Amino acid sequence: MKKILTLLLILAIAMTSAFAQAELEYPARDINNVLVWGAGGGTDMANRLVMAEMAKVLGVNINVNNVTGGVGGSVGMYEGYGRPADGYTLVGLSESVVTASVQGGFDKRMNVWDFFIIGGSPDLISVTPNAPFKTVEELVTAIKANPKSIRAGASAAGSIHHLNLLAFEKGIGAQFNFIPYDSSAASQNAAMTGEVSLVITSVQEQAELIKAGKLRPLAMLIPNDFDFQGTIIPSAFTKYPALSQYLPLEQQIGFAIRKDAPEAIKTKLQAAFKTAMKAEAVQKFGKDRYFSMKGLVGKEANDIFDKLESVFSWTLWDLGAAKINPQTLGIPR
Amino acid sequence: MDIGQQFGSFFANIFSIISNPTLLLVLFGSTLMGIIFGALPGLTATLGVALLTTLTYSMSTESAMIALMGIYVGAVYGGSYGSIMINIPGTAAAAATALEGYPMALRGEAGKALGLTTTSSAIGTAIGMFFLVIFTPVIAALALQFTSFEFFLLAFFGILISGSISCPDTVQKGWITGFLGLFLAMVGRDPLQVYPRFTLGMMQLESGIEVVPVLIGAFGIPQIIQVLKDRQVVAEPAKLDRVLPSFKTISRNIKHIFRSALIGVGIGAVPGIGEDIAAWVSYGTAKKTSKNPEKFGTGCEEGIIASEVANNACIGGAMIPLLSMGIPGSPPAAMLLGALMLHGVAPGPMLEIEQPGFTLKISAILLLASFAMWVVGILLAKQVVKLLRVPPALFMPVVAVLCLIGSYALGLKVFNLYLMIPMGILTYYLTGMGYPIPPLVIGVILGTMADANLRRGLMVSQGSLAPFFSRPVALILLIVIVLTFITNMGFYKKLMTNLKGRLKK
Repeated sequence: MKKILTLLLILAIAMTSAFAQAELEYPARDINNVLVWGAGGGTDMANRLVMAEMAKVLGVNINVNNVTGGVGGSVGMYEGYGRPADGYTLVGLSESVVTASVQGGFDKRMNVWDFFIIGGSPDLISVTPNAPFKTVEELVTAIKANPKSIRAGASAAGSIHHLNLLAFEKGIGAQFNFIPYDSSAASQNAAMTGEVSLVITSVQEQAELIKAGKLRPLAMLIPNDFDFQGTIIPSAFTKYPALSQYLPLEQQIGFAIRKDAPEAIKTKLQAAFKTAMKAEAVQKFGKDRYFSMKGLVGKEANDIFDKLESVFSWTLWDLGAAKINPQTLGIPR
Repeated sequence: MDIGQQFGSFFANIFSIISNPTLLLVLFGSTLMGIIFGALPGLTATLGVALLTTLTYSMSTESAMIALMGIYVGAVYGGSYGSIMINIPGTAAAAATALEGYPMALRGEAGKALGLTTTSSAIGTAIGMFFLVIFTPVIAALALQFTSFEFFLLAFFGILISGSISCPDTVQKGWITGFLGLFLAMVGRDPLQVYPRFTLGMMQLESGIEVVPVLIGAFGIPQIIQVLKDRQVVAEPAKLDRVLPSFKTISRNIKHIFRSALIGVGIGAVPGIGEDIAAWVSYGTAKKTSKNPEKFGTGCEEGIIASEVANNACIGGAMIPLLSMGIPGSPPAAMLLGALMLHGVAPGPMLEIEQPGFTLKISAILLLASFAMWVVGILLAKQVVKLLRVPPALFMPVVAVLCLIGSYALGLKVFNLYLMIPMGILTYYLTGMGYPIPPLVIGVILGTMADANLRRGLMVSQGSLAPFFSRPVALILLIVIVLTFITNMGFYKKLMTNLKGRLKK
């Protein structure tokens, strides 16, 4: 009996020291990425690629599990947040998770996470080929002369493209006749039938139509010009600097870790992430999907998500689409 | 795309499928499953497609479509086994077949009847496919004429027509269930301004009522209750003889084959009604136009051919409005619509723009499915019938469990079960009172489309109703809707009989 006890004691000590060792040499075992969106989507594909590259740097496997459902990816976020902040759980996500809190899906703010941003496909304004506007100035002049005279299509109220339209309207000080559609594809179809003459979707979504000459790109809704297969699409910010107050609101695909995880682990992950972003496969993926690649971490990434959270939450609240007042969550306007 | 290219890409599709062993396996496997499903009383093509849909979540779009088309074609055909062998139609679509097939089987010609059915079904499916290829581009060419106003009218017409045709007694009952479906579709946050409607403050209702639990509940549960309640007695299957029909039999009936195929395609193309009605109408027409109608009901070839060609030709017909307008032409096609959307394919006027060649791919799959059905049918005619010996008391509970899993699997929501079961009980009583169920399901499916497009259209026109009259396609649809309304009203029928009476004087 005594022998067994001693043996157990030794075993226990050995195990504790092994764990202590593990904490020093992160990562000692495989890492899990709880991905809040479904398999095969943009967030899923980007995460799987980047995780594979990071795994090479860290020397362990990173398993990606899709845990979907809830509101704004809340089921996956709860799952990820419910695990210890030891750096062995990451949460794969995109910009739309910031709506989870005001929609009543997630009872915390986004400031419980530290974000890693891979990138995303930026939004742009395009018009149908028969529309009389050749540049964004012509468009703005026309809409200011005749408010609400131009029909603008975007996916449903509260979507990122709708938020871009609202921000553009504020930046130029004019209003369009907003026609909501079920999806970006549906809004682009409506442009084909002539039901709307202006659409706001992402470069990735418009790419085929722009190539076929069925949509004319006018301006990017990000601070930089965009090189679309050799054609430069100018940024609307150049002509309308006021836009920088409200924009950019971009698709941000990436992942997050609990903010209370040890700093040393975060530093290690950030270094691995930066290396992974440089990998050829990751860069090619970004190019094929017309992404603007970011590779942002730490404060820079968190600031972007803070802004997204504020804009999304308050816009949804103003539209009557939010369940919980952003004020009660402490989200600044 | 010109015709030559179309043919090229059609055969390229066929070759790419038959050169892939996995896809071939899926094709034959799902067709076989469909036949078994159809042959078992109480299991319909709709239920088969519904249950299989939940299993195709993780498949590629192509293999999912092969599996679903296979089970669809197989199940519509498989229903005839029960009709012929034991006088219990496996599906409603095969009910007309029982009138001729069973007497034939009693004469000891069950094999002949089965062979004839198999061949007729294969020919019917192939003809339906032919019409799908010819007509879809014609309708798709109109695609850019379809804006929100047209989509609204189309959805409204779909609900109206399904209510008009699927009801055994008065059309009003069909319309009532249709509008009940429309109401259910309104539950949830509205798609345009995200305002919650009829959600009773329940979180689960925010995203609206999902189609799959309604479908499985409405079609599955009443059937399970009915079969268990009636305690259907299963007879000893008769012996089988020669199965393959002679070429002479086919050539002798070529006229019937073509007439029945046309009826099948036509009825299939009308939204909301399906194989069962196609079979009855075709059988009725065959009897009416026959030189010796007294032969019908005693086991004649023409009767079997009429119902079996028509119910399978209906499949191709039902795919025409599904692919070109996003409106399901039959209840199983409604399920297919859901399956397509799960796989990111949005059928409708824009399909050929977004996914060029998709219709041809479906046509190729349909042709292959009819071939697979024929091969499997001829080979398995003798074996499949044995499944009918499984007593319903053992079998239906299994189906009930499959229904539960099917509803739950979509989004893994327990709430869907709470939705499905009351839905099933409600529809059981509605069926008992003679209310047709298809319009209800069509209402749920097309309701969102009708609602969102009407209000979107009014946003575009800034409140003006003028586009209903100024847009040519909208005007045509509006006229058709008004005519459908009027011709189904009691006063119109009285007026017509009055007029006819006066003309005779």
